[in-house]
Amino acid sequence: MEIKSNKYRLYFKHILIISIIFIMLIPFLWMLSTSLKDPKDILGGGIWFFPTSFTLEHYIRAINETLFLTWLKNSTIIATILTIGQIIVAFLAAYAFSNFNFRGREILFYFVLATMIIPEQAIMIPQFITINNFDWVNTFTGVIVPNLASGYAIFLMRQRFLEIPKELSEAASIDGCGPLRTLWHIYVPASIPFLSAIGVLLFVSHWNDYNWPLLVLMQEEKMTLPIAFSSFQHEGLVEWGPTMAIATLSMIPVLIIYLVLQKKFVEGFTNSGLKG
Amino acid sequence: MRAEILKQPTESLVGEKVKTKKKFNKWPYIFLLPSLILYGIFYVFPFFYSFVLSFMEWNLISPDKEYVGFDNYNSIWSDSVFWKSLLNTLIYVVATVPLSMMIGLSFALLVESVSGKMRETYRMLLFIPVIASIAVTSLVWQLLMNPEQGWINDVLNLFGLPQLNWLNDPNVALWAIVIIGIWKAVGYNMILYIAGLKGIDKQLYEAASIDGAGKWRQTISITIPMLSPINIFVFIVSVIQSFQVFTTIHLMTQGGPNNSTNMLVYQIYEEAFMFFDIGKASALSAILFIIVLIITIFQIRTMEKKVHYQ
Repeated sequence: MEIKSNKYRLYFKHILIISIIFIMLIPFLWMLSTSLKDPKDILGGGIWFFPTSFTLEHYIRAINETLFLTWLKNSTIIATILTIGQIIVAFLAAYAFSNFNFRGREILFYFVLATMIIPEQAIMIPQFITINNFDWVNTFTGVIVPNLASGYAIFLMRQRFLEIPKELSEAASIDGCGPLRTLWHIYVPASIPFLSAIGVLLFVSHWNDYNWPLLVLMQEEKMTLPIAFSSFQHEGLVEWGPTMAIATLSMIPVLIIYLVLQKKFVEGFTNSGLKG
Repeated sequence: MRAEILKQPTESLVGEKVKTKKKFNKWPYIFLLPSLILYGIFYVFPFFYSFVLSFMEWNLISPDKEYVGFDNYNSIWSDSVFWKSLLNTLIYVVATVPLSMMIGLSFALLVESVSGKMRETYRMLLFIPVIASIAVTSLVWQLLMNPEQGWINDVLNLFGLPQLNWLNDPNVALWAIVIIGIWKAVGYNMILYIAGLKGIDKQLYEAASIDGAGKWRQTISITIPMLSPINIFVFIVSVIQSFQVFTTIHLMTQGGPNNSTNMLVYQIYEEAFMFFDIGKASALSAILFIIVLIITIFQIRTMEKKVHYQ
């Protein structure tokens, strides 16, 4: 008797979770459905998700009439360079913070934490003036370089490096390894799985970056996907079909990375030193 | 979590102080150099320069900046749009943060309570709104919230409920933005809470069930108190993030209708890059920074007390 009621309760739980998931994913289902519908069915075509008409017209238009492929390339270049750059800069900083004792270490580390609290928009004006002085407006450099130092990445990596036993680097230094060789032979191999986890997180967040690229990139040929969406908007009117086609296409790379590496994602979060 | 950050450097500092005194070690500074140069140019300098600019009048293009004292701040105090954006920002933060934390925690508890393979799939699906770009999701929500023939109004109609002019009604628009904010944040909070749940010692539950405590009782007396370090983290991060809501507003409402969705961050953008009033925008930035700083310090202080308590 009790077993049976437990079983029903379990079914109920699964049904509840699946309904929640369905509600949470409605925007994506609707995005996909709209991108495949006949234009006349887009607004007022009913609430059913499965399109009553089917066309690939919007995808063809999105690719032919816009610079979609250029934007895709731009997004890929910027997100990749930014991610790798941030990892290198943060790796060196985290190595310094975790493996050495030096004057000012704590103050500098607090400073790094403080940069995470400053809202990006509170300093975007002088940042913009700075890159304007460097003549970096409307360039990838202007998007990438100001963001190379990531407090988030430094913080996460330092947390991880502190778990690497000090005896290892001490033994290495007794064996005559300099700091550079210790870094290369002990810290790099020990952190590769972790680096890929944090790399995925950083890549996805840069793929989606909006505010800063919006200020820096002005020409359509230079834009990344998130900021290029408005091109099917004319005087406030949006052509929903092609817009949703671009939206769907721009989500695919991130979705693939996420589905393939989802364990890494969770690892990236759970290893953030949040365990208490 | 914060206690751990504080603890580790001091411990090792005591142990090796003697060694460092002997010889100056240049290496840590060399490794920190790239970060320090980047931070110097793109964070520290802009940070101070922002305060300087808040006392100037400048239109971003002209070569001359004029010193105007506190004029920009004075014009902000008497600007009704500023008070409206400040109020909207506070409403947004106060509505979004607790709800997205509670829903995130409920999702975490619910998903973790089922066993087997399905659990991972559920977790993965619920996290999708987080990895999607806000630009994409803002556009899709705009379509869903279309007043005449949007999906949401069609569904409301089907159930005989009144349709809402989601983004064009000054009384509704801010809540539409709040709903989207919550929807976007719950998956992130859920994952953080799941990470926290995994850190709880299983023996606590065993002991409790031997003492005859039921599932609910265990959740309230063990799970929730044990999650308090995660709570602090989620709370601080959520508040900072919700202060920065920008993309949804920029793409969906442009602060309208009638400034009903204007927020501090959006107003900064508007003043600087649409009206080219750099002085006023910088003064607004300074105000935003001070508000976020005060709130963060206050949060850390009060939360620290609570954690030490338990």
